[in-house]
Amino acid sequence: MFAPFLRSALTSAPLLAAAVAGAAEPGDLEFFEKKIRPILAERCYECHAADTKIKAGLRLDLTAGWLQGGDSGPAVIPGNVDQSPLIKAVRYTGLDFEAMPPKSALPKEEVALLEEWVKRGAPGPAAPAGGGRARQVGLSIEEGKKFWAFVPPVEPAIPAAPAGGWPRTEIDRFVAAQWAAKGLAPAPDADRAALLRRASFDLTGLPPAPDAVDAFVRDARPEAFARVVDAMLASPQFGERWGRRWLDVARFAESSGGGRTLLFKDAWRYRDYVIDAINRDVPFDRFIREQLAGDLLPAANHEEKSRQVIATGFLALGPTNYEEQAKDALRMDIVDEQLDTLGKAFLGMTITCARCHDHKFDPIPLKDYYALAGILRSTHTLHNYTDNVAKWVDVPLPLPDATEREITAHEAQVAALEKKIAALRPANKKAPPAAGKGIAPETLPGIVIDDTQARVVGSWKNSSVTAGYVGAGYLTDVNEGKGEKTVTFTPQIPHAGRYEVRIAYTAERNRATNVPVTVFHADGENLITINQRQPPTVAERFASLGQYRFEKDGAGYVLVSTEGTDGFVVVDALQFVPLDGKAGAPAATVAAEDPGARKSAAELRRLEAELKDLKARAPSRPLAMSVKEAVGEIGDTEIRVRGNARNLGPKVPRGFLQVATTGPVPSFAPDQSGRRELADWIASDANPLTARVTVNRVWAWLMGAGLVRTVDNFGVTGERPSHPELLDYLARRFTAEGWSVKRLVRAIMLSRTYQLAAYATPDAKRLDPDNRLFSHANRRRLEAEEIRDAILWTSGKLDLTVGGPNIVLGPGSAAQGYEYGYVFADLRRGVYTPAFRNRRLDVFEVFDFADANAPIGVRPVTTVAPQALYLMNHPFVLEQAALAAQRTLAAVTGSDAARLDYAYRLALGRLPTAQERAVALQFVAAVAPPDSGDQARLDAWAQVHQALFCCVDFRYLN
Amino acid sequence: MIPHPLLTRRQALQRLACGFGYLALSGIAAQAAVRGPANPLAPRPGHFPARAKRVIFLFMGGGVSHLDSFDYKPVLYTHDGKMMDFLDQRSIAKTGAGSTQRVMKPLWDFKQRGQSGRWVSELFPHMAQHADDYCVIRSMHTEGVAHGPATLFLHTGSTNLIRPSMGSWVTYGLGSENENLPAFVSLSPTLANGGPRNYGSAFLPSVHQGTAIGRAGQRASEAGIRNVRSPLRTPAEQQRHFELVRALNEQQLRARPGDYELEAVASSYELAWRLQTHAPDALDISKESPATLKLYGIGEEPTDDYGRQCLTARRLAEAGVRFIQVNYSDNTNNPAWDQHANMPKHKDHAMRVDKPVAGLLADLKARGLLEDTIVWWGSEFGRTPYAERNGTGRDHNPTGFTVLMAGGGFKPGFAYGETDEFGHFAIENKVHMHDLHATILHQLGLDHEKLTFRHDGRDFRLTDVHGHVVKDLLI
Repeated sequence: MFAPFLRSALTSAPLLAAAVAGAAEPGDLEFFEKKIRPILAERCYECHAADTKIKAGLRLDLTAGWLQGGDSGPAVIPGNVDQSPLIKAVRYTGLDFEAMPPKSALPKEEVALLEEWVKRGAPGPAAPAGGGRARQVGLSIEEGKKFWAFVPPVEPAIPAAPAGGWPRTEIDRFVAAQWAAKGLAPAPDADRAALLRRASFDLTGLPPAPDAVDAFVRDARPEAFARVVDAMLASPQFGERWGRRWLDVARFAESSGGGRTLLFKDAWRYRDYVIDAINRDVPFDRFIREQLAGDLLPAANHEEKSRQVIATGFLALGPTNYEEQAKDALRMDIVDEQLDTLGKAFLGMTITCARCHDHKFDPIPLKDYYALAGILRSTHTLHNYTDNVAKWVDVPLPLPDATEREITAHEAQVAALEKKIAALRPANKKAPPAAGKGIAPETLPGIVIDDTQARVVGSWKNSSVTAGYVGAGYLTDVNEGKGEKTVTFTPQIPHAGRYEVRIAYTAERNRATNVPVTVFHADGENLITINQRQPPTVAERFASLGQYRFEKDGAGYVLVSTEGTDGFVVVDALQFVPLDGKAGAPAATVAAEDPGARKSAAELRRLEAELKDLKARAPSRPLAMSVKEAVGEIGDTEIRVRGNARNLGPKVPRGFLQVATTGPVPSFAPDQSGRRELADWIASDANPLTARVTVNRVWAWLMGAGLVRTVDNFGVTGERPSHPELLDYLARRFTAEGWSVKRLVRAIMLSRTYQLAAYATPDAKRLDPDNRLFSHANRRRLEAEEIRDAILWTSGKLDLTVGGPNIVLGPGSAAQGYEYGYVFADLRRGVYTPAFRNRRLDVFEVFDFADANAPIGVRPVTTVAPQALYLMNHPFVLEQAALAAQRTLAAVTGSDAARLDYAYRLALGRLPTAQERAVALQFVAAVAPPDSGDQARLDAWAQVHQALFCCVDFRYLN
Repeated sequence: MIPHPLLTRRQALQRLACGFGYLALSGIAAQAAVRGPANPLAPRPGHFPARAKRVIFLFMGGGVSHLDSFDYKPVLYTHDGKMMDFLDQRSIAKTGAGSTQRVMKPLWDFKQRGQSGRWVSELFPHMAQHADDYCVIRSMHTEGVAHGPATLFLHTGSTNLIRPSMGSWVTYGLGSENENLPAFVSLSPTLANGGPRNYGSAFLPSVHQGTAIGRAGQRASEAGIRNVRSPLRTPAEQQRHFELVRALNEQQLRARPGDYELEAVASSYELAWRLQTHAPDALDISKESPATLKLYGIGEEPTDDYGRQCLTARRLAEAGVRFIQVNYSDNTNNPAWDQHANMPKHKDHAMRVDKPVAGLLADLKARGLLEDTIVWWGSEFGRTPYAERNGTGRDHNPTGFTVLMAGGGFKPGFAYGETDEFGHFAIENKVHMHDLHATILHQLGLDHEKLTFRHDGRDFRLTDVHGHVVKDLLI
């Protein structure tokens, strides 16, 4: 209605010849064009205009642009200067969002003009036709439902067996069916010794015993291979090997990594849970439910309850920066990490691409991300979301009744003893010294810092009015200038370790009851409030501020403030008493003088020793890393605009990925997170992804490559399956057989396809260079743990203890960075090697151990010089080679040739070739001629064993 | 001596010639498990002609106070001791609001230095003499209020997510110019604050990960590449054993002629052997002249340790190493420069690095190496203009701080950007850490928007979706 009028009225401003938004006065538009548009054009268009970029979805080259705004909502609220985000941004206060323009603040005059403009109602020309913002989006949900991975698997027809009878199983028929079209022929069957070695590493991660190889080679029965496969599936080593594979997917680690790496001392329980579940062939759908919602599932007894709680460690043990200061961002980062892990692990989806915007390729809208995020945000992964250094959730595990009674009894004993000690303590007091006389700091144990050595800020007065102080008097703030004064004590800590920190003050009635004292220690900071009207309790002089860890010469300090105090604040001295027994004698109490006091002091010491001993013998109440329902905070969550935790968009109802949901979405109870429903949706026969992703990984682990080679990505950017029907066949069979991993493994192992030789014919190389059609076996490099375990197995030193904790806990293990100085000394299987995020066992470091920071279905394989350096020079390799040599020399008393056979069979599972024999025996003769002593012989054979560890046939499975 | 059938190295190489050809010139991390003859570390041109070939990053872990060193703010003297409202970042991260703080003046006097008249405090007297050699960026800002997140952001462009470090991106983009040494080296890195992730390759091929030489807490004089020396055997014994390994592998490879993957294993031993033979020389500073050692403060305290690191960096730069991190750090979570409670302690640290850094600049300049070497001196963030909790130290400040950039086409004697009058927030010509990353890549001939790697179905960059090349900094 205004438009025709304006069109004629404002001919002098051709740019305005469209229309205006709202009821703007003509003068306002002129103001906009003359004063505001030039500012926007010069300062903002570079990033917020159609011709250049539209950052954050915000256009400032048209009225609708600032009114509708970008990802964060409207940029301008007409008339409301202070609430308009654009004004907040250019004022450069930088609180909720980035200050704009990013490079430099605007001149004050320009900010004032923009403010006036908003005050006038932010007038501007109306949008030209067709204006608006475009987004790049991936497939729509409807398109996505037609994408292969989201189409539920159907039972395929089993291809007919070709003439010649090559296939042994249905799997073979699917594989063989594709060869004909390409003109491919299968490789010959694998050599039996090689096959057993391959199967043994694949199922147990260990080489077969030489005798077992001989027996298998001799066993001509048709079911010979099935027998050895069944035996290996039933061995505890199967769970260790296959558990390790799942631990890769679950990005399992025993420390947090990142900034302050913290030890996950209870993570081993999750590892054992995985190994046990695989050994017991727990149906995989149940395995999924337990990991996502085990704490919420019914349990028949305390063991089952424990198992299920431990299983949820899956959600808890990600790489988290617990020190992140913006706790709301940390909370959403944890949710994001959990979605990333469960998305890849179970669904083969990169869900987290949709955290800031709709997925650019896959049919996952932003809304779906926050539908899932609502479930995990209704779950607590941290004890609270306020601590300076946050703490993960650990929960006490239920115990059998007998143990529960034992613990309760013990706790009562401790309490009784503590009461006795407390009763003795007053008798042990020492009278305060006469007025005017200070206690010499050097007579006190530990590190004592007098107030004279502290740094003071503000005006403090010296005083010695109240007796019982340390050194020469104390400081008082004379109850003035509250909040302007501080005293800082900076200790020179001689040894890293734990210290009890105590503060000395003289109590009086005029003192403050609420003196804030902050202790900055190696693991963060703690604020303690001291009541200086109460006499201090330690020897009537010191009040304990708690026990903390400090670094040697570190940055630790204690700061006393007067902020908000309600009386005189006095500061006398600070004491750091070492608790690790390193830095001098620990303080007991100040020595008593009269015999009675001496006697009670002796009694006190005895009781204290008894208490310490009792505590050391405490039956442990086991804890597990887990998650908890976020009671009081359960519910749907808001979209975080552009992923910014503080920038809230509309709320999204909890739910799943729409594209992979076939039935109706359940309703979510207002007092339950919805993890059970999430687990049910994932672990369902009807989910088009879960079974396919799982069988594809199992295939890849046995065959060296997946039917979908991007095993963790079944999305649009992943690869398409080479054998879609076989994939569906395996998925359907897997769910029909009760999600049994062992049955699936067995079926693949018994196929003839698995048992082919790892050798490509020239034709196969030419026709199918990547072996996507599996016409021969893929040669596999041993993984890091297999290399280490095989070395230890060869030397005879491998410790086959199954399960249990394996990190040696020592002083400082509760603190950050424990892993830095950790000495890896155990000889248990690699799956039990402490799996720290910031520090790995050397052999894992060089041989591509899985990155424990993200789910990984198939490890990369690299060949790099540090591997060669490791095998040539690392003390572990040298030592194990020497032990293997001792074993060889002890076992074979005959000729060097017989010794070499023995060494080869141990290390490589075969006999040496004639040439190898010549090379090796010549070497032995040169290093240890016949007349040389035992030491030379041992050294020669140690070097032969080491060379076998170095050679390609040790590293590769054929 | 063992004659036939053990081969000499030359014979072995001849027999395996076709397999070795594509690998022979790669460095320690020579990756070979690739199909076909592509060496991922072969030197290659960037997106456009480069102004610099390599980077030496002098990392000052913990956060040097820009207000006590390179960002002169007179108002801190006039307002010293006053209680004022500040948008304290730690308090904002926790509560969303600022807090009242006591202004604290610099503890070291400032003077104008050099022809350029740059203000430098007495904290760094030696570096002050090079005021005309470096570009001072006073308007840096970054992400992460705590050391871990901010240090990871500095090195990888992300506070929390798992991303490749900058050196990995650079070797991924440009390859290596050295056949006997790693392309990316981290001298004395810390295990804390992200630890190995600060020189890790994340999802880039592991061939691009940094090689640690020494570690924080170990004397630089004892630092070396891991497993490069045998703890047991003499060089002659090692040679004999190496030849046994070579001969056995040669036999096993014969069964599968033309197999790249297995040949790569054999050649990895050749490379390891070369490294074992050459790397100790590259790291050996004993043949440097007494004058050079003195220039870096080697042989005297407290400069010996960082001096050795800086001199090693120069030797590695000369040898063609692409990216060299020289870490002044330790393994604690309150790293060296983290003076929350005790600002005067800054002097102890300054005395350890000042002369070595100045020596490195002088040495590179004298050798003409500063032309195509970027020397970057800086921390993960700066410090606040006010005393932390009214005490005697300064807290972290990611919203405004200073870095120095010398050589490699950065304008010498030039100052860029401003913080506000208290030195708290960068306000003029702001340079985000992403911008600095983009600018350094640009000088190396790499377009930060084109240096991408596809992972998890999308393209990743060092600068994520951010970063601008700050052309004003460049000659």
